[in-house]
Amino acid sequence: MGPAKTAPRVVLACGEVRTSLLPALQALDSRAAAQLLGLRADERVLLSERPNLYGRSPDTLTGVDCPLPSANGARVRVVGTVAARAALTEGRLLQASAYFMVPATGPDHRRPWGHYLVRPGVVEPLGKLPHEAVAEGVLNGGRHGDLDVGLIADGLHTRLLRHPLLDHRPPLRSRPTRLRWVALPAEPGAGPSIERFTLAEDELRTVRLRVPEGTPGEGLAGLCDDLALHDWLLTTVVRILDGIRLGAGAGAAGAPPARQRPRQRPGAGEELPAVVRALRPAVDHLLHLWMPRARVTQELAPLWDALEERPGFTRQWQTLVQRIRDQLTLHAIPSPHRETDMGP
Amino acid sequence: MLVFAASDKGGTGRSVTSANLAYQRALTGDHVAYVDFDFGSPTAAAVFDVPGAMRGIAERGLHSYLEGEVPEPARIDIWRQTEHPLLHARPNQSGRLALLPGDAGGGEFVTGEETLDRCVDLLLRLNGEFDLTIVDLSAGRSYAVDMVLAATAHPRMRYVPFRWLVFHRWTRQHVIAAAGLVHKEHGIIRGGVDRGHDEEALRGAIRFVRAAVPDPDSPLWAQGSPAQAAWMQACDDALRRLAAEHRIGDSVVLGAVPLEPVLQWREQLITEEDVLSTQIANKETLEALEEIARRLTDDSCWGRP
Repeated sequence: MGPAKTAPRVVLACGEVRTSLLPALQALDSRAAAQLLGLRADERVLLSERPNLYGRSPDTLTGVDCPLPSANGARVRVVGTVAARAALTEGRLLQASAYFMVPATGPDHRRPWGHYLVRPGVVEPLGKLPHEAVAEGVLNGGRHGDLDVGLIADGLHTRLLRHPLLDHRPPLRSRPTRLRWVALPAEPGAGPSIERFTLAEDELRTVRLRVPEGTPGEGLAGLCDDLALHDWLLTTVVRILDGIRLGAGAGAAGAPPARQRPRQRPGAGEELPAVVRALRPAVDHLLHLWMPRARVTQELAPLWDALEERPGFTRQWQTLVQRIRDQLTLHAIPSPHRETDMGP
Repeated sequence: MLVFAASDKGGTGRSVTSANLAYQRALTGDHVAYVDFDFGSPTAAAVFDVPGAMRGIAERGLHSYLEGEVPEPARIDIWRQTEHPLLHARPNQSGRLALLPGDAGGGEFVTGEETLDRCVDLLLRLNGEFDLTIVDLSAGRSYAVDMVLAATAHPRMRYVPFRWLVFHRWTRQHVIAAAGLVHKEHGIIRGGVDRGHDEEALRGAIRFVRAAVPDPDSPLWAQGSPAQAAWMQACDDALRRLAAEHRIGDSVVLGAVPLEPVLQWREQLITEEDVLSTQIANKETLEALEEIARRLTDDSCWGRP
């Protein structure tokens, strides 16, 4: 049975996701994925093959007793557990994600640990929770010593990367991203909505959600994992395309590159053109990963519709995919014909 | 690719030259990370002209990271944070250039299994993100040198390619010292073998960079007397023989950087502007840096067909 008679309602959920390419030459099959994600001996890894290959570790819990960050300087001490889990999509994209939920009020003093252990992923405030200020504080990043859910995600991420299964031969260079999210209660009767989705620094994204009361934290974490995964795909493929130099060395119109020197000297002769070499890993390892909403609960799925409307995630993705295919098609044409029209 | 920059003595121009190599590679479109493992005296922020970094690195530098105080070391986007007027406008088509600074009050420290694991984590992470990672190591057979020797011998790093550059000035003392750093009893090769490296492979991954080399043919010395010219030539020849005797002869030299007042005094990046517009730096210096930067990944310069 539920641990509490009258649990106070949850008014805030927060989390952070690390998303990165799995540093291995070959994608992991489901058996290897299960090995990588087997964080606990007592619980099994969730594996599924439809609509894509996906594995998720059991939740691990981290006990915390520390203040929450807040935008107005209020010090709110919380005690409880933060849940963290790792996921692997198509044996290729690794995500480490940590989250917690906070009720509006809690007991005035700390309870024995047993009380908190039966509430996994819940931290209770000592007293009342100024949830709006805390949500803002979490998104802005707290001070040293505040509860940092990103740190827990990071620790899990590092732990996974040390697994002996990984050979650390990534097929392409890419950057991990961080997505930090908060979910606040929606107006009574209103559905879930995304209030804000920002690209803060180079690799930090922040998301602010409004969700109906009673939305489970696990579902929210699942939604945010899904957002983070697709945002990572867009970011990474955009960077790959940014990195290729069209007609490099051919004196194309416009600003010249910083250096005219070709990036690679023509080597043994059988080398692929630089553009094909740069795009090939995207085709081999990334293009088939796009599958929004694959693991989003039904009540949260409408949030994706808003993102498809504006900024239009899938629209951008399709344009990128088309660009890659066009470039590769173009490079299937023998180069004398391809280069004829390069001049101004 | 990881590149470790080492030197036996200070004042070899190791930091300023390797920073210039990082800059040159970024200009060609590579994503480059510059890691300041010169724990005793972190200077990279000055070379890249990011004075604002000094405060930030008071707590999140590499030292704090390796000791486990912070989960990730600070990173500085050089194009964005430099105060160098020319670098500030990130050149078109250039790659990323990131500086991982040391801590202000660093200093050497003792190693442990945990520190080594964190070092491996960091190098692997950078290798997954950047085309080229240049690690500037404290002078001498320092703790930093030992740590990266152990890290690159670690099973997790088995597929990560790495190379070493040993910087030395073109003088008798420096030639002998640089040879000692690599080949002697307590040298890099011996230290590497003790930590599990294959001797031949490690030896093949080490090249030397001669710094502050006066070129007898340069216009700088053209005003000298014939006697002076002959003397310089004789000295240069003698040094070459000495280097060869100490197994750091021309065949293992990746390049030589001419004696350059801008590098010596200003200790900053040399830009095309310095050569073409203001003409305070010599064209030969820039060309030498460009060429060494190119050779870093040119296998034919590393004894590989």
